[in-house]
Amino acid sequence: MKNGMKLTALLMALVMTLCACGTKGNESTASAAPGTSTEAPGKSTEAPATTAAEKTGPDDSKNVKIGVLVSDVTSAEALAFRAYYEEYIQKQYNVTFMYSDELADAAAEASAIDNFIANNCKAIISFASADRPAQIETCESNGVYYAVATGTLTDEQYETYKNYKYYVGAIGPDLMTEYMAGYDMAKYYLDQGFTKFGMFGGATPYYTEMHIYRAAGMLVAMCEAGKGTYLGASDMGGMIGAIYGAGCQLTPAKIGSVELCGYVGGYDFDDAWFGKLAAVANDPNVEVLLAVGSGQTAFAGFKQASQKLGDIDCYTADSVKLMESGTLNYLAGKFSASIGPIFMAVLSAVQGHPIRNAEGNAFAIGQGYWVATSAEEAKEYYAVDSSKTEPAYTRNMLDKLYNASYSDFEAFVKAYSFEEIKGLAK
Amino acid sequence: MENEKKIRKENVKAAVFRFAPLGGLILLFGIFMALAVIKDINIPYSFKNIVNQSVVVVVAATGAVFIYTLGSFDISLGASLCVSALIGAMAYNATKSLPVMLLTCVGVAVLISLTSSVLASVFNLPVFVTTIAMLSLLSALALVLIGANGTGDVIQVPAAAVRGINNVWFKLIILAVYLGMCVFLFDFMKLGRREKFQGGNPVCAKLTGLNGKRLAIAAFAIAGVGVGLGAFLTITYAPTLSRNTASSVGMDIIISIVFGGMPVSGGARSKIYSAVIGALSMTMLNQIMLALSLDSGVGQIVKAIIFLLVVSISMSNSKGNILPR
Amino acid sequence: MKMGKKITGTLVIPVITLIAAWIICSSQGVKLFETQLNLLTFIRTVANVSLVTFALAINLNSGRFDFSLGSVALLSSVISSKIVLALDWGPVAMLLLSLCFGVIFGLISGAVYVSVKLPPIIVSLAVALLYEGLSFTLTGGHGVSFANSARLLGFASIPNFLIIIVLALAFMIIVFDRTKFGYEYKALLSGQKVAVSTGIREVPNALLCYAIAGGLMGIQGFISATTNGTIQMSLNFGSISPMFMAFLPMFIGGFIGRYSNDKLGYLLGAVTSAFISLLYVRLNVSSSVQQITSALLLVGFLIYLNNEGKLKGLFVRGGGKG
Repeated sequence: MKNGMKLTALLMALVMTLCACGTKGNESTASAAPGTSTEAPGKSTEAPATTAAEKTGPDDSKNVKIGVLVSDVTSAEALAFRAYYEEYIQKQYNVTFMYSDELADAAAEASAIDNFIANNCKAIISFASADRPAQIETCESNGVYYAVATGTLTDEQYETYKNYKYYVGAIGPDLMTEYMAGYDMAKYYLDQGFTKFGMFGGATPYYTEMHIYRAAGMLVAMCEAGKGTYLGASDMGGMIGAIYGAGCQLTPAKIGSVELCGYVGGYDFDDAWFGKLAAVANDPNVEVLLAVGSGQTAFAGFKQASQKLGDIDCYTADSVKLMESGTLNYLAGKFSASIGPIFMAVLSAVQGHPIRNAEGNAFAIGQGYWVATSAEEAKEYYAVDSSKTEPAYTRNMLDKLYNASYSDFEAFVKAYSFEEIKGLAK
Repeated sequence: MENEKKIRKENVKAAVFRFAPLGGLILLFGIFMALAVIKDINIPYSFKNIVNQSVVVVVAATGAVFIYTLGSFDISLGASLCVSALIGAMAYNATKSLPVMLLTCVGVAVLISLTSSVLASVFNLPVFVTTIAMLSLLSALALVLIGANGTGDVIQVPAAAVRGINNVWFKLIILAVYLGMCVFLFDFMKLGRREKFQGGNPVCAKLTGLNGKRLAIAAFAIAGVGVGLGAFLTITYAPTLSRNTASSVGMDIIISIVFGGMPVSGGARSKIYSAVIGALSMTMLNQIMLALSLDSGVGQIVKAIIFLLVVSISMSNSKGNILPR
Repeated sequence: MKMGKKITGTLVIPVITLIAAWIICSSQGVKLFETQLNLLTFIRTVANVSLVTFALAINLNSGRFDFSLGSVALLSSVISSKIVLALDWGPVAMLLLSLCFGVIFGLISGAVYVSVKLPPIIVSLAVALLYEGLSFTLTGGHGVSFANSARLLGFASIPNFLIIIVLALAFMIIVFDRTKFGYEYKALLSGQKVAVSTGIREVPNALLCYAIAGGLMGIQGFISATTNGTIQMSLNFGSISPMFMAFLPMFIGGFIGRYSNDKLGYLLGAVTSAFISLLYVRLNVSSSVQQITSALLLVGFLIYLNNEGKLKGLFVRGGGKG
C-alpha cells in the first residue's frame, strides 16, 4: 500500500515533468535574444490584429486577457487602480484582467508572469519592480506584450529594452517627477513660513528610489529656504548622493534656519516604530509633518491638531475626509485613471497597432500627480477619480488613443493635470 | 466473520486516510485539468510552472521532514534560505563560479542550521524558540548584507550567468538527487528509523541508548542541505535578491509538509514524501485560484478551508480520546 | 521561600533592564523618560505586550501553539471598528465589541480544534489564513482608518491603558488561580491523560482557553487600532508577527513565576520588553539593530534559564576558589 502511494506520486510527478520538459523554449526566463521571440502561448493573438487595423477603434469581438502584476495588493493606490480596471475598463472593453497575488520578491514576479503566460494572457501590465529586466525578457521571449504602469525604467534599462518588440513602454512619474513632488510639497509649507519639520521616510531605508528622490526633494527645498546644507549637500544630485552615502538612514538636523526636528523611516509596524512616529509627531517644535508616502497611515494616531500634514499618495475616501477635517493639508496623489492610457497602448499593441516613438522605440512618458491643498479640490478630484461611470479617462477619451500617433499619445498623457483632463474630456 | 469484516473495514478506512493527501493532490490535479480545458490554459506551460514554483519548497521541505520527524519545528528556514542565497550570490559575484555559488549556498545554510541545533542541544534550549530567535537574527542579517554589498536594495547575479541552468531538467536532477538521498537516509538507513523512534517516544529512545542531540544535529544538517539547494535554485529562477527573497518560503514549508500528510508530532508515521505531495498540492491550488480569478481575500479563505479539509481527513485515523497537542 | 528572596526574584529582571536602559540612554545624553509621551509609549507597549503574552501563554503552556492570535485581533478589531464608525459610537463600545468578537473568534478557533481534533498548530495555520482572508474581504483590502475619529483616538491615555492592564491581570489571576476552571486547566497542563481519566472535561476547558485568549487579543486589536489610527490588512500569515514579541516576556514570566505569580511574571516580562522598546525609541535605533538585539536577548535569557544550575555551579566553584 505504502509503495503504491509512492509509485502514484512519482508517476504523477513524472507525467508533469515530461509535459513540462516538452514545452518549447523559455525554461530560461531570459533565453531569447532582444527583439526576437519564440513560439509561445501568447503569440496566437496577433491574428485578429489585421481585422482591428481596418477599424478606427478597438476590436471588441475577441476577449483579450491581460495580466496585472501587483507588488502590494493592500495599498490604497493599488486598490484604486484595480477598481478602475475591473469596475470600469473591464466593463467597457472586451478584456479580462488577471491579477497576481502580492509579489514580495523577484521570484514571485517571475512565477506570476509564468502563470499569466500559461493562462494565455496576451499582455502584462506591471505595478511591480523587484526585477523589471527579468519581467521584460520573459515577456519578450514569450511574445507577450509588457508595459510599466505608474513608473519608469532607469535610463540604462530603457536603452537596453527600448527596441524590444513586445516592450510597449512606461507611463508614470519618473524620478525627476518624484523629486519635484517632494520639493513642491516642502516648498508649499516653507513659503508659508514654516521652518520646523518632521519627516516620514517610508521605504527610504530600504533603498527605494522613488522615496529617496521624494525625500531628497524635500531636503533640497529646506536647504534653499534655510540657506543651509543637509549632510553637506544642497542640490539635487548632491542630496541624492548624500542620502545613499548615509546608507539611506536619515537623521534630524538643522538646515540653516530650517530644522528637520524628527525623522522616522521603514515599515516595522512594531511598538518601537509607532513610538518613534509618536515622538516625532509629539515634538512641540514640529510644525509640519511631511511624508514621502503613507503619511496618513503612519501619523494617523499621533498627529497633533496644530500640526500640518503633507503626503504623497493617492485619492481615497479617507484622504478626502482627512482634508475636510484639516488633518491633511497637502496631497500629491496619483489618480486611478492615470493607468488608462497604458491600458490603451497595450490593447492597441495586442491588436496589432503598437504605439512607438519617433525612433520606432517603446515610449517612456512622464506623468505627475494631482495636487490638492484644500478639501474642495480633494473632493472634486476624488469625485471624478472614484466614478465608475465617468472617471477621469473615459472610454471615449481612451478610444482616441487606439492606434494613435506617438505625438498624439504623448500629448494626451502629458496633459495629466485635473484641469487639462477636464479640457480633454470636453 | 464479523471481526474480519470489521478489520477489513478498518483497513479500508485507514487506507483512505493514508491516501488522503495524495487523493487531494489528484483531485486538485483533476480540477486544474478541467479548468485548463474550460479556460484555455496552456497545460504544458502550466506543468513547467508547477515544477518551477514548487521545486524550491519541495527541496527545502523534504529536508525539513527530518526535523519534523523528531517532533521539532524550525520557523527560520525561509530566512535561512534568504541569507544563504544572498551570500551565495555574493560569492558568485566575487568568483564568477557557479559551483562556488552552489557550495556557498549549501555551506551557509548548513552552518545556520547547525548553529540552531547546536545552540539548542548544547544549551538545552527549546528548538522552536531558538529558531524564532534565529528568524530575527537572519532577517536582520539579510538587511545588513544587502546594505554592505553597496547596491542598496538588491544583490544580483547576472541573469546570463544562470540562464543555462534555469531549466526544468536541471532543477529536476537536483531534486531527484536530493530526494533520493533523503529517501535513502529516511527509509533505508538506521538514521531514519532512529529519527522516527526519537520523535515517537523520546524517553524510550533515550533508554535504548539513542543520542537525541546527535540525531537533532544530523536532522538539522540534512535540512540545511535542502535549504542551501533551495537557495541555489532560487537564484537560478530569479537572480535578483532582496530582503524579501523567500519571505513566504518559511510558512510554505510548514503548510506543504502538513498538507502532505506529515504528523507535526513526528514519529513513526512521518513520511518523506509529504513535502513533495504537499508542495505540489499547494502550487496546484494556487494555479486553480488564479484560473478562477479569485479575489486575494476570498482565495485565502478557500485555501484555508481546503487545507483544513485535506489535513483533517488525512489525520482522521490518528485521533485519540484526548485532544492532540 | 523568604519574602526578601521572593521580592528580589520577582523584580530583578525588570529593575536590571531599567537600570541598563537608563545607563545606555544617559551615556548618549538622552533621558529614558523625558516627557509624558515617553511614559505613554511605555505604558502602551506594556498593555500591548502583556495582553499578547497572556493570550499566547494560556495555550502554549498547554502545548497548544497558536499562530492565529494576530488574526483574531485583526478580524475582531475590523468588525468592531466597522460597527462603531457606522453608528458613531465611542471607544468603550468599540472596546466591548472587540472583546466580544475576540471571544467569539477565539471560541470558533477552539471549536475547530476540538471538533477536528488536529494538532493545534495546524488548526491555527488554517484559522489564521481564514481570518486574514475574512478581514481583507470585509474591508475590500482597504483596512480601516480612525484618523478622523478624535473620540476613538482619544482613548490612548495612560489611565486607560493602566485600567486595562490591571483588569487583565486581575482577570487572569482570578480565572486561572481561583476558579475550578483554573484548577482543571493546571491539572490538564501537568498531566493531560491522568486529568482526563479523573473526569476533568478537557473539551470545555480548551474551548474556554481559546475564548479567553481570543478576548485578550480582541482588546489588543482595539488598543493597537485606536493608538495607531489605522488597521492595516495582512495576508499570507502577515498577522502572525505580533506573536513573536510575546516570547521573551513569556519566558521572563516563567522565571518570575518561581518567586511569585506567573501571571504577574508575564506582566513584568512585558514591562521589561517595554523598557527595551522605549530604549529603541529614545535612541532611534534602526530596525536591523533592534532585531539583532532582541534575538540575542531572547537566546541569552533562554541559555541562562535552561542552564541556571550549571551557571550557578560555575559561579559558586569560581567563588570558592577565589
